Amino acid sequence: MPSLALLAQSLASGIFIGALYGLLGLGLSLAWGLLGQINLAHFALALLGAYLTYQLGTAGLDPLATLAIVLPAFFVFGAALHWLFARFAVSAFNSLLVTFGLTVIIEAAIQWIWSADFRRLESHYADIRYRVGTLYIPLPELLTLALAVALSLALWAALRYTDFGKALRASAEDASMAQAFGVNAKALALLLSGISAALAGVAGLCIALSYTLAPSQIYAWVGVVFAVVMLGGLGSALGPLIAGIVIGVSEALTMAFTAPSWAPLVSFSLLIALLLLRPEKI
Amino acid sequence: MRTLGALVAAGVALAGVPLLELPAFYESFFYLVFFWTVLATSWNILSGYSGYFSFGHGAFFGTGMYTTATLTMKAGMPFLWTLPVCAGIAALFGVAIGAVVFRAGRLRGELFALLTLAVSYVLATVILNTPIDGGPGVSLAAVAIPRLAATPPSTFYLLALAAAIVTLAVAYQVQYSPLGRGLFAIHDDEDVAEVLGVPTYRYKLAALAISCALAGVAGGIHALFVSYVTVGETFSIVVPLSVVLMSVLGGTRHWLGPAIGAALITALLYAFTASDYAVAGRAAVGLILIVVILFMPQGVLGQLLRWTARPQPKPGSGLEFTHRHAAIQDLTPLLSATGVSKAFAGVQALAGVDLVVRRGEILGLVGPNGSGKSTLINVVSGHYRADSGRVVFAGSEIERLSAHRIARLGIARTYQIPRPFAHLSVLENVTLPAMFGHAALARAEAEREAMRWLEYTGLASKALALPGELNLHQRKFLELARALAARPQLLLLDEVLSGLTPSEIDGAITLVRDIRAQGASIVFVEHVMRAVMQLADRIVVLSYGRVIAEGSPAEVMGRPAVVEAYLGKAHA
Amino acid sequence: MKHIFALLIAALVATLAQAQTVKIGSTLALTGPLSATGMIHKVAGEIYVEELNQRGGLLGRKVEWVLKDDQSRPDLARTLYEQLLTVDKVDLLIGPYATANIVAAVGVAQRYNKIIWHHTAGVPSLLKYDMQFPTGGLPADPEVSLPELVFDAVAHAPKAPKTVAIVTSKFPSVHFISVGAREVAKKRGLQEVAWLEWEFGNRDFGAIAARVKEANPDFLFIGAIGVEGLLLVDALRKIDYTPPLHFHMFPAPGPMAKSPAAQRALALTTFEQHPPFTNNPVAAAFVKTYNERAAKAGLPDNAVELQAAGSFATWQTLEAAVNGAKSIEDKALAAWLKKHPVDTIIGTLRWETPSNYMPGARLYKIKQLQDGKWLVVWPQEFTAPGAKLLAP
Repeated sequence: MPSLALLAQSLASGIFIGALYGLLGLGLSLAWGLLGQINLAHFALALLGAYLTYQLGTAGLDPLATLAIVLPAFFVFGAALHWLFARFAVSAFNSLLVTFGLTVIIEAAIQWIWSADFRRLESHYADIRYRVGTLYIPLPELLTLALAVALSLALWAALRYTDFGKALRASAEDASMAQAFGVNAKALALLLSGISAALAGVAGLCIALSYTLAPSQIYAWVGVVFAVVMLGGLGSALGPLIAGIVIGVSEALTMAFTAPSWAPLVSFSLLIALLLLRPEKI
Repeated sequence: MRTLGALVAAGVALAGVPLLELPAFYESFFYLVFFWTVLATSWNILSGYSGYFSFGHGAFFGTGMYTTATLTMKAGMPFLWTLPVCAGIAALFGVAIGAVVFRAGRLRGELFALLTLAVSYVLATVILNTPIDGGPGVSLAAVAIPRLAATPPSTFYLLALAAAIVTLAVAYQVQYSPLGRGLFAIHDDEDVAEVLGVPTYRYKLAALAISCALAGVAGGIHALFVSYVTVGETFSIVVPLSVVLMSVLGGTRHWLGPAIGAALITALLYAFTASDYAVAGRAAVGLILIVVILFMPQGVLGQLLRWTARPQPKPGSGLEFTHRHAAIQDLTPLLSATGVSKAFAGVQALAGVDLVVRRGEILGLVGPNGSGKSTLINVVSGHYRADSGRVVFAGSEIERLSAHRIARLGIARTYQIPRPFAHLSVLENVTLPAMFGHAALARAEAEREAMRWLEYTGLASKALALPGELNLHQRKFLELARALAARPQLLLLDEVLSGLTPSEIDGAITLVRDIRAQGASIVFVEHVMRAVMQLADRIVVLSYGRVIAEGSPAEVMGRPAVVEAYLGKAHA
Repeated sequence: MKHIFALLIAALVATLAQAQTVKIGSTLALTGPLSATGMIHKVAGEIYVEELNQRGGLLGRKVEWVLKDDQSRPDLARTLYEQLLTVDKVDLLIGPYATANIVAAVGVAQRYNKIIWHHTAGVPSLLKYDMQFPTGGLPADPEVSLPELVFDAVAHAPKAPKTVAIVTSKFPSVHFISVGAREVAKKRGLQEVAWLEWEFGNRDFGAIAARVKEANPDFLFIGAIGVEGLLLVDALRKIDYTPPLHFHMFPAPGPMAKSPAAQRALALTTFEQHPPFTNNPVAAAFVKTYNERAAKAGLPDNAVELQAAGSFATWQTLEAAVNGAKSIEDKALAAWLKKHPVDTIIGTLRWETPSNYMPGARLYKIKQLQDGKWLVVWPQEFTAPGAKLLAP
């Protein structure tokens, strides 16, 4: 029977990685649910953001400050991507193919610039950790959790309470109807797509702080984050975070109790059970 | 049939390629093309045709890989015998999942994708942690490769070719069979398909079973090809992602689409393997994919088919209708509902409805908004299940039956807001109920029947158009034609006149009378009072889910209770 | 008529010139998850071929290396080797990077009765072909010999460990060695305080780290490949735990160098760029050239270690065999190799065991990460000058 300290630490660990899943899934979920874009390139963008953070961070810039460059650049990219989709009236499944092509291009670009070799940001953030009793809370992970929670809540509130949010949701449900009511669906869509891409940049920062980077890492996240997005409900702002934490915690606790290699069995069986017993999700 | 023959002929011709003694590389390259053809086409049979997007094709492929690996290495089974076992186990696995999942009616769209992805992870973990693999992987180096041809690469070529031909033949057969018609309908609107008589649960299971069996066989063959099976390689994201990309690239609505996508993507993979520009080559592949799909959104094959000219619709045969049912107006009960109740999350839509519909009558169902009229139609047609009560139709109790069985018994309905199958032509929309409804005709006859009904409703010239090209009036009549094509005994019309101009309404009234004259009994929900008064033999008035009046139109509409229900209490 | 004659002569000369070249074919993972290490082999091979041609090539003939990208996929590797043999018509084969791809390549070589050299296949039992020649120095029984070497080294630490925690990924070429390590540890009387396995690709090491900390072993044996080990020691550091001794099986050396959590890590190697390895002038020259070329190719870590040296040894073996047997015919080369050991920069390679792998781990050493530099600390003969195994 694992000790309380071990359980607590494992629980924390699961929450942290769940937050990262949620952060990665946030932009993907919004674009998929509200814009009908299945954006596989979201992962490539996140990793590109991580590499940019690494590059600027290694050059001396504080990793958080790198967002000042990454966020606007990615926002523009996201808006441009949506413009492309709108211009060619790309359907949801076709968007998967287009974004796969983009992913391959971005991966090649990353490899071209930084080589396939592993890159690792050595920043002072990794040295800092906080102690609560026997529980350790490292700064990079705490930062990831804070960003994930803050952004999810902010977007949730925006979607629910602001005119912008309501207009977006109306647009997503019935674009022509919303436009009849004066909603500028096109501008909103560009805005949302830009935000989604910027979110990928934030996720990239978090990845760079905690992980070692290689171009092929892009695909390491696809499976689990797609699961998180689908479980949390497409277009939901809080869904990915909650779903991510559910999966992260169930895996971490499994790793605390038994052979860690069983972890995906527990998390995904739990997911299947959730789907079958309560398909309305969260 | 010609196509099948051409397919087999192509297969036989290609089987002769090993005799050309080309360098083995080409045979292995074609092996990969055929292999991906099997995987992508099998995925498409379920996910492309029916829209049930599966993200777990890797699980069934992996089942095949490990079945062959285990049977050959641990049980000493000769390789070829393992292939049918792969098909069987994969199909069983798929059906077991489908039997549970397809029952949970709300697991559509991305939830089904999620579930299938989760199944992959679960299976991978189980295999990794049990003696099936346990970690080191399984080596098939010691397994004898069957001597189907002079060299092993040729043997694999022939095996994969055979699998590909079989898969394509199956996909072709499915597409043009009732199963395929049903799947395409499910793709557009599963609930309507069910109500029109498509046995959706059974069909989805069948498609899933076929899809899994073929993927299992592909896995079995591939296990021997790579000769070293590991969990990491087998269950990576490559398989589930590639089959989607290949099918979308080629075109998901056609049996040959995925094969084209598979060939294109495999060729692209090899086009850039020279080491000097490996990285740039990858970028080029990505760019090509983007450009192709942007300019060919239906997929390569889909787009090519679109661009070739559309054939003209066949002119009507001019045959007269034969009255299928004698115009019985014996006024014996055809449908009787007793105590039917239905609630939705706190709203009691129906609160114990008692209703009788007599053979050969036109019954008007009226009442203010929210009184439960549409809900009653939905319950009778099987779209919803009643919470309590009994419904008897032509001697059978139907309140527990699934909608497609009710359709078979002879009930058809229209929807207030037309719900045509968006990707099927007008003709295909009407052919479907002729195949699956009460009439249950074979495909060719069903098409002729459908044309007749299109002429009857004035839509013959639009037979090959898509529903999106019709105006509201035409779409309403499409609903009607669809309901009629099933040759129902009882026709439920849900506000078929709303939105029509006065002259259109007159035409519709004549039509409805004619339909009754041909032997159908009709219940129609309507707000257009003029039509109700003209058409109905009897009317039933609903208010707050209960019947508050029943009788002849003039008599009932004069009753104070009815007036009150519509207009509220008069103040003195 | 004169023109046709001239053309014929030109064609003849061209054909002869072509016939003069010895074509050596391989694939490498130049894209995909394995490409980080694939690039190392590309650079090393290019250097060797260039210098080989400057020396006059093989048997007086120019050498051309036909290299293709197998994108880290075994099924692609297999078909590309078939292409190399049947379409490009190469004379000799060198294997790709990493076990699964090598298994696929060896299968092709076997069907065509071609000799094939390879450097990084980690599971000897998978290769049952007598003309495959490993040149990385791996022992025929890695699950016994390698743990024995490791435990030998740590037994000579200032404080010999009494308890051991063995944690491993389930990646095939690593897992079976970790399983073997449990046996070896038991035989040596060490107490196993933890045995944990994770699936390859695991991202969250928090719980595993917590369990290791709780077990508090004297020695942490990490069966990790790539960056897994680094992720684990990182996670350990984040909960304020530093293992007294920790060993990583097949780590990517670069990212660990600058990481504070990875300091004092032990790992396996066959070569490091310091004396006594660099006392060999051939090795020293290679180190210099490789450092430059790798930097130019954009590789952040341009030191020569086990991977690059192993590749170099492969080419050395090929050259020695061709010169020794005075032929490029496969059977002749194989026969020669079975009878003659070859001196390479990683040591003397021999192919006497049934699997052609080395008898025992004699070419392997243990290195330790000290102050951002990898230094060999065991056995004594190969220890970097002035260095020793550091442990609290």
